[in-house]
Amino acid sequence: MSIQTAPTPAPARSRDGSGLSFGRILRSEWIKVTTVPSTVILLAITLVVMVGLSTLYAWQLAVSVGFMADASPEMQAQMGGGMEMFREQALMAPASGYIFGQLLIASLAVVLIASEWGTGMIRSTMVAVPTRIPALLAKNLIIALIAFILGAGAAFISYFIAQPILSSEGLDFALTDDGVLRSILNTGTYLAFIAVISMAIGTLLRNTAGGVVTAIGLFFVFPVIIVNIIQGLADWIPDAARFLPTNAGDRMLMFPAEAAGQLSPLEGGLVMAAWAVALLIISLLVAKRRDV
Amino acid sequence: MIEAHELTKRFGDKTAVDGLTFTVPPGKVTGFLGPNGAGKSTTMRMIVGLDHPTGGTVIVNGKPYAGHRSPLHEVGALLEAKAVHPKRTAYNHLRALAATEGIPPARVNEVIELTGLGSAARKKVGGYSLGMGQRLGIAVALLGDPHTLILDEPVNGLDPEGVKWVRFLARGLAAEGRTVFISSHLMSEMAVTADHLIVIGRGRILADAPIGEVLAGSQQERVLVRTDDAGALAAALGSPGVEVRRQEADQLEILGLSTRSIAEAAFSRGLLITELTPQQVSLEDAYMELTGGEVEYRSQHMSAPAGSAPDEEGRQP
Repeated sequence: MSIQTAPTPAPARSRDGSGLSFGRILRSEWIKVTTVPSTVILLAITLVVMVGLSTLYAWQLAVSVGFMADASPEMQAQMGGGMEMFREQALMAPASGYIFGQLLIASLAVVLIASEWGTGMIRSTMVAVPTRIPALLAKNLIIALIAFILGAGAAFISYFIAQPILSSEGLDFALTDDGVLRSILNTGTYLAFIAVISMAIGTLLRNTAGGVVTAIGLFFVFPVIIVNIIQGLADWIPDAARFLPTNAGDRMLMFPAEAAGQLSPLEGGLVMAAWAVALLIISLLVAKRRDV
Repeated sequence: MIEAHELTKRFGDKTAVDGLTFTVPPGKVTGFLGPNGAGKSTTMRMIVGLDHPTGGTVIVNGKPYAGHRSPLHEVGALLEAKAVHPKRTAYNHLRALAATEGIPPARVNEVIELTGLGSAARKKVGGYSLGMGQRLGIAVALLGDPHTLILDEPVNGLDPEGVKWVRFLARGLAAEGRTVFISSHLMSEMAVTADHLIVIGRGRILADAPIGEVLAGSQQERVLVRTDDAGALAAALGSPGVEVRRQEADQLEILGLSTRSIAEAAFSRGLLITELTPQQVSLEDAYMELTGGEVEYRSQHMSAPAGSAPDEEGRQP
């Protein structure tokens, strides 16, 4: 124990080049995300599940179209115009994993922040970054980036896996076709917004279970209840339901891009972004004010 | 250097810290002593900004903690041992915290060696014993080679070797000119570690003095007397400022009189004394004497009629 002897002058307060910076805090948060094994495993599972769902989606489309082709002429006539509908549905194949991907990304984002409170890690974090907001911003930025890369990456991989399956029924399409790249990239954008909204919920509730339930409620249950059960109660309900984060956000990846009574992809993206930014700001201000 | 001025923290209507004003100077080990719930941890949490004071201010090395560009270089804090994600290894925990200020990985390895974590540093923290968790907490506190150390109950859960190590560490860091602020509820531990004591009870300062003075200040003369006629001696000694406690049929404990005065009183009345022993005030006695009043005060308060107004400190019974 060399430390117990030698009265030396007080150490210098600060070394050259040391000190907090946003880049360093980002690096710290990156280390935190990558050094809990379950996080990395969950991300890998998300990628596999998204690609798997897209593959199944493309497959069931091809099977449906094949079934129709084998049907009697009367039935084909009955389903007239169906081929056009199937073509449009085929364009959704790369993005179609988002339904399940958002569930996992939302859970992961809640867990990443709420577990800091659950384990006491938040106190270490906030002693290291006492101004607090940079640490939370860095964590949001990292989960949003991961979600974007994961979403867009899964959609890209799904595109290439889906083409041979779809081509058997002539449903294949090119990356350069209208809206295809938009849908693929926005699968990432959509998941990035899901991640930020979920992390804000986790920050506000500081509780993993409560945060996951709230996020799933906001993204799945609430839109479904409104759309399917209570929309008949008043005219404004379905109108307002378009502005829920997931209802607005999935316009970014849907086909056709413009539909009557629906937001455009850009409008939908902006509405979801507004949800994300508003909740992010509220969560930062609350976390800054609260005792840890 | 830590300077608190009228530092106050209320949780609802409960006052945890009640107008503390104190200074913790560099180059010394300052002990922060008080019974459980006295407000030690809350005070330490306010110093590093985890809790926001309800009133008053506290600054470290001239600035509020959050105002420093390199907080980990200014203050190393051990507040609770396991402020760590249990699935992360100690090494990665230290690496993540070091990264916020660009502290080089070499320093991470240094504090791992220094605190004796050794090979356990590559294992997940969830499996650590209380003592190992404590060592990791101390490693975190030392990470930035800080000028000021704040250690909340650092010897909690440590084995005797670890307790001794923390003592040497604290004294060594103070000898290097650093500010060392250690809380404990163990007077005996403070007596061998600290140079200066701040004693608190129920959120208020009871004593703020060099350790010798705290002990001497509470040191009333206490003498054990054995005599054949305890009743007569007790009557002879009874006067204001003197307390006589009958312990056994032939044994008295006398506070507030020197052995000579007792002997003189007995001699003048012709009483036979068979034993006359000055008692050492133990450290624990001195501590109980300081904080005991606070406890007594609380129990008196418990018996106050229901619905009574809070007292002048705003506390509810």
